[in-house]
Amino acid sequence: MEFKLTEEQVLIRKNMREFADKYVEPIAAEIDENSRHPAEVFKLLAEGDWMGIPIPVEYGGAGADYLTHILAVEELSRSCASTGFTVSIHVGIACMLVLLNGTEEQKQKYLIPMAKGEKLGAFVLTEPGAGTDVMAATTTAVLDGDAYVLNGTKTFTSNGPTGDFYMVFAWTDKAAGRKGMSCFIIPRGTPGMSAGEHFRKMGLRSSQTSEMVFKDCRVPKENLLGKEGAGLVMAMAGFDHGRVGIAAQSVGILQAALDESIRYSKERVQFGNPISRNQAISWMIANMATDLQAARLLTYNAAWLKDQKQVFSKEASMAKLFASEAAMRHTIKAVQIHGGYGYCKGAKVERLFRDAKITEIYEGTSEAQRMVISGNVLR
Amino acid sequence: MPKVVACFKWVVDEAYIRKGAGGALDFSAVDYKISEYDRNALEEAARCRGEGGRVVALAVGGPEAAKGVKDALSRGADAAFLAADPAFADLDPTQTAAVLAEVIRTRIPYDLIVCGEGSGDRYAQQVGPRLAENLGIPCVSYVQKLTVAAEGGRIVAERRVEEGVEVVEAPFPVLVTVLPEINVPRIPGVKDTLLAARKPVAIVKKEELPPMGEAKLETLALAAARMERNCEIFGTTPEDIARFVAALQRQGAIG
Repeated sequence: MEFKLTEEQVLIRKNMREFADKYVEPIAAEIDENSRHPAEVFKLLAEGDWMGIPIPVEYGGAGADYLTHILAVEELSRSCASTGFTVSIHVGIACMLVLLNGTEEQKQKYLIPMAKGEKLGAFVLTEPGAGTDVMAATTTAVLDGDAYVLNGTKTFTSNGPTGDFYMVFAWTDKAAGRKGMSCFIIPRGTPGMSAGEHFRKMGLRSSQTSEMVFKDCRVPKENLLGKEGAGLVMAMAGFDHGRVGIAAQSVGILQAALDESIRYSKERVQFGNPISRNQAISWMIANMATDLQAARLLTYNAAWLKDQKQVFSKEASMAKLFASEAAMRHTIKAVQIHGGYGYCKGAKVERLFRDAKITEIYEGTSEAQRMVISGNVLR
Repeated sequence: MPKVVACFKWVVDEAYIRKGAGGALDFSAVDYKISEYDRNALEEAARCRGEGGRVVALAVGGPEAAKGVKDALSRGADAAFLAADPAFADLDPTQTAAVLAEVIRTRIPYDLIVCGEGSGDRYAQQVGPRLAENLGIPCVSYVQKLTVAAEGGRIVAERRVEEGVEVVEAPFPVLVTVLPEINVPRIPGVKDTLLAARKPVAIVKKEELPPMGEAKLETLALAAARMERNCEIFGTTPEDIARFVAALQRQGAIG
């Protein structure tokens, strides 16, 4: 057993660290405050091949492995969880859905511009009444001649207001149950599809989230992704990939919380000594560092399994569950270590604390992860 | 178009140096990086290459410097030479320049050699000029802007000197040492790093080179800077001002 990154992975990680320090860290507080999508950063990410790391070169990507993508998401999230997440869902779910299920024509038309970072992907599944209970969805796609006609309302769509290519799930045959949902690639600007206003969120504020409304939206038959009725299986496989990304995002948040806690506790003097010398503080930091290591290993292991072409669904859920809950648990402590200063705008831990919460919710809540994991181990 | 050599040093990343007990520097858990100024040298070499030129990255160092080669290759170099040996781990500038000169003279055709103004660890600013001397070519130092003349065969360089800018021309072959202001080094993209693994790397061992000579510099110790705070409060009465002046004189701050 070898716990070692390749030379290339080490270099790529360092380069992303430098990129994030230079271009992302300085604007992270501002884009959070203003809920702004940093288009200028995404242009640079595209230039450095960061928007399609695990996608083969012939489809516009960098042709590296999934673990390398995960390292990039982690380092990016260490500076800005929103930016890290946008890359994660774009690559891990939108690009991977087309790579794994698309026809050659679809890959040429949609995957290449997405993997090059010229177009942004979105994943459109959740509905107002269908969160963890995906089967409660009501959006329908009815075949009418050479096109499907979609009707329904989706919500909490990440990259909703900013996306270019939307992976939209709808019932083609509700009566067929789990085999009745299908996925469609719908380009921005298709008549009948509209994105709502960007939601005002507690955290992850620069990631753009909205409702998506489909009103007699006609989608050509050739935009059906995969087979009719295969949508749910594809969505679940997409989640497996995406969840490793959320785990990496959580690891990045947690690393940042640790960085900030170490720095501040060594600087902050009370009762004549830096507070890091108090056991109450140093043990918080010890627990934080330990959970960070565990979360990172679970995350890399899940990505490694994916790269070895092994089943990684359970491991992806475990990594996401543990890393996201660790991020939440310890960002609370990081704010505690910072005291009043940590409760104020301007302290990075204040943002980390708000950003951490979503990792326990999206791409499957912690409860949904426990359903996946228990379903696997009790089988 | 020119054949360019960019020299780089693989140095300790200062962010990983810890302060041990008694002010000693602890290098036990350090990571390494390409010396900051040498990133400018690599970038400038890649920029000067133009169409049809070639850039060779060159370093001398201990075996761990091999890790720097891929990094250098991901920054635009086409090939790399590395003189690697445990005995090359901590050379003084004379020895470094001697090894570099030997490798270049015997193995790398060149028109232009680009070095950083100084290294990121010692910043002795010795290797560039000494290398030029060893090769018997002109050296242009403190370069903040570099142009390869359109017709080729020579460079035009802006040197930042104490009171202004000096513009000089020099024919090939020539060595320049560059300042950090000369460019903004790239952050390599993912593909740049992956492609680096496919570029040719030649390792030169100590046995393949003539003796490099004795070190002319001896490092006795390295220690962390120590900050002492001596707080003394003075008032504004004539007596206090006299006391203040005396205190400054005592510390040697004023004559």
